[in-house]
Amino acid sequence: LEGNAVAEVNLKVLRYIPDVDSEARYDSFTIDAKENMTVLDALFIILSEQDSSLSFRCSCRLGMCGSCGMIMNNKEGLACRTKLAKLGSEITVRPLRNLPIIKDLAVNMAPFFKQWKRIKPYFIPNEAAGNDFAVIPPESGSRGIIDRSIDCITCGACYSACTMVSLDDSYIGPAALNRAYTLVADERDQGTNQRMEIAAGEDGVLRCHTLFNCMEVCPKNIVPTWSIQKLKSKAVATALKGGGSE
Amino acid sequence: MIERVQCDILILGSGGAGLFAAHHAYDRNPNLKIIVAAKGLIGKSGCTRMVQGGYNAVLHPDDSIDKHFKDTLKGGGLLCNQELAYTLVSDAPKRILELETKMGCFFDRNPNGTVHQKAFAGQSFDRTVHKGDLTGIEIINRLRDQLYSKESVISWDEVRGIDLLYNDDHSAVAGCLMLNLQTGKFIVVESLALIIGTGGGAGMFKIAAPSLEKAADGMAMAYRAGAEFVDMEMMQFHPTGLLAENSRLNGGVLEEGLRGAGGYLFNSLGERFMEKYDPVRMERSTRDQVARAAFMEIQAGRGTRLGGVQISVAHLGRKNVLKMFPGMVDRCKDVGRDLSIEPVDVSPTGHFHMGGVKIDKDCFTAIPGLFVAGEDAGGIHGSNRLGGNGVADSTVFGARAGDAAAEYVTAVKRQKVSERQVELFVNQTMKPFTLEKGENPFQLRKELGVLMWDKVGLVRNGADLKDAIAQLADYEERADRCSVSGVKQYNLAWHEVLNVKNMAQIGRMIAIAAYERTESRGSHYRQDCLFQDNENWYKNIFMTKGQDGPVTVTRDVQFTHVQPEQLFGETARSMVSVG
Repeated sequence: LEGNAVAEVNLKVLRYIPDVDSEARYDSFTIDAKENMTVLDALFIILSEQDSSLSFRCSCRLGMCGSCGMIMNNKEGLACRTKLAKLGSEITVRPLRNLPIIKDLAVNMAPFFKQWKRIKPYFIPNEAAGNDFAVIPPESGSRGIIDRSIDCITCGACYSACTMVSLDDSYIGPAALNRAYTLVADERDQGTNQRMEIAAGEDGVLRCHTLFNCMEVCPKNIVPTWSIQKLKSKAVATALKGGGSE
Repeated sequence: MIERVQCDILILGSGGAGLFAAHHAYDRNPNLKIIVAAKGLIGKSGCTRMVQGGYNAVLHPDDSIDKHFKDTLKGGGLLCNQELAYTLVSDAPKRILELETKMGCFFDRNPNGTVHQKAFAGQSFDRTVHKGDLTGIEIINRLRDQLYSKESVISWDEVRGIDLLYNDDHSAVAGCLMLNLQTGKFIVVESLALIIGTGGGAGMFKIAAPSLEKAADGMAMAYRAGAEFVDMEMMQFHPTGLLAENSRLNGGVLEEGLRGAGGYLFNSLGERFMEKYDPVRMERSTRDQVARAAFMEIQAGRGTRLGGVQISVAHLGRKNVLKMFPGMVDRCKDVGRDLSIEPVDVSPTGHFHMGGVKIDKDCFTAIPGLFVAGEDAGGIHGSNRLGGNGVADSTVFGARAGDAAAEYVTAVKRQKVSERQVELFVNQTMKPFTLEKGENPFQLRKELGVLMWDKVGLVRNGADLKDAIAQLADYEERADRCSVSGVKQYNLAWHEVLNVKNMAQIGRMIAIAAYERTESRGSHYRQDCLFQDNENWYKNIFMTKGQDGPVTVTRDVQFTHVQPEQLFGETARSMVSVG
């Protein structure tokens, strides 16, 4: 698609109102796709011109907020950064898996954030270190792979794609474990022991079967599997030393 | 039956202002019942997350609060409320330190391990702290995550404010009527204090940068409740909004650091057009100047096919661009361009409202119980905001609002909300369901965008503004005639009706103030008044709701810290041509 070229695109969109519908269905819409258009643009065209009862979630529309995670042609991604041209003329759009549907494409993120909360996603500062900016030269390597892992926008794409989460939703899942890693690797943080106890526990890193589904779908190109491996190594090293802190 | 909830502090908005308010109020008194409610998911909606460039704070020994203060005033055309601007620059270093040492942010470092500060426009010192070129993600993620350690703070996803509720004798704000987007049900919240930090309504312009749900809700609620506003004519357009024909990506900002690092702007003739407008600072001129220059080039027929100009950073070297601006490179890929080797089409884009609710430095408003922080507040940035002062504003004043509200609630008694108001607002809000074949709110919003862009945008004139003022009153009525159908759960059309109404109300205030200011200053430019009138217009325009719409009053700027002579020298009291 270039310039003002137009191509007809058929979208099958999952529709479901839990209180009202006995089961989900797909509604079909046809739109004229133009250059640069994304799935989010297509949804807005449907909403404003064809069916004002369609529901979906979005906010920044630039890939920064992680509100518009969904499954497009069987792959998780952000609607705002998934080009129609890449998906072809037949597109199926459905909500993320492993999360209850609120309506149509909008899901309840509570299970995702329940796991997120379990790993204590907040910074636990070292009060003794004084209240100043830590001096950490970038070349020191002391922050491990934090920089490559820190930009998670909690869109839930990996949580939806993870086979292990689908099998058992008590698994903490890729995003939350990735967040745990970024704190464990942060020399300024004092919560490593509490966090490792959970990350290395029965719902934690050992459940990961390194299928790399999370990596495949992450819109921020984060590799949660890598963070999980780092946590696994640490857990094993700690166990060999007979537990306790490092 | 409408659900009723009582709390001590209700915070509307979960950007930098809302979350900082929650943290500070909790830290001040962990026993308070605090609710943070956002129109989107907490921490995900709003624009702090969308901050790219960074955060201005004085950290380096060669920099000073005085320099940052004067840069801010100068950038703001001396219209700033100097108390607020001084508070901003004085508190910014404390908040950035708090972000690092208490919230866990980690900003980019110099090779020696100290905090790196980069160049932004209109600044006498490179003082912009950042995390790559997507700084907001780090700030808002950490502010959100940190809230999980404060379990008593209640977070409400996708619950928007509809209107403020007074007590029965109308002497203080006693709560807010809320609407849960997910369930479609109303909630009456009775609170001792209410903090508004929902962000502005720049999305009312055809080309605009903010997140899509932002619709001036907070300001519109405050307006209807009788709050006083200031500087409403001052709307910032960011010079470099990405042009993405046909896509909602359109207008998304390419960050100011591109210009700060030495990026060029070209018109379609290949000229670096800033030579004509600001030969000294060129592309590093302030946002108001660069945005207007680009707009005028486009208007003069020297725009690109997409109706923009081009930004080019390829001369900085491919490797450098990829290293300094990975987020921007990634974004440009979405329109098929490689920022590291070729120019990219950009246009001025509606970005930030300098005007807003009049506050004091602790975010008190004229209405007892109502606090306002962040973009919803006015007066801090005068006629133009410096890049990097936005997130500083929301965090600094969000924190102050939280502190002040936590003190305030210990001294006041709980009041009943006016049931008459509850009933009135519920009925008004439900009206679109009672109408058939009314206006389409999405179409109305589109029309509003064109009207605001054409007549109340970067280049204004009296006749157009007058016309816009009349049309905008009509838009409010048209919004009342919108109809929606279907279930109430997650009904986006219903919410768009509420959005358009709020934006039309605030849009009208912008047009009225712009009509009144018969000069050009900062982001406000009148082609029928091609001068900055330093004899007569060191004045702020204040506005409140009257019987038939906004009523204005004009007052002199109080030069409490710095006199015009200290910044503008010889031209401090004269008419300066801006043609």
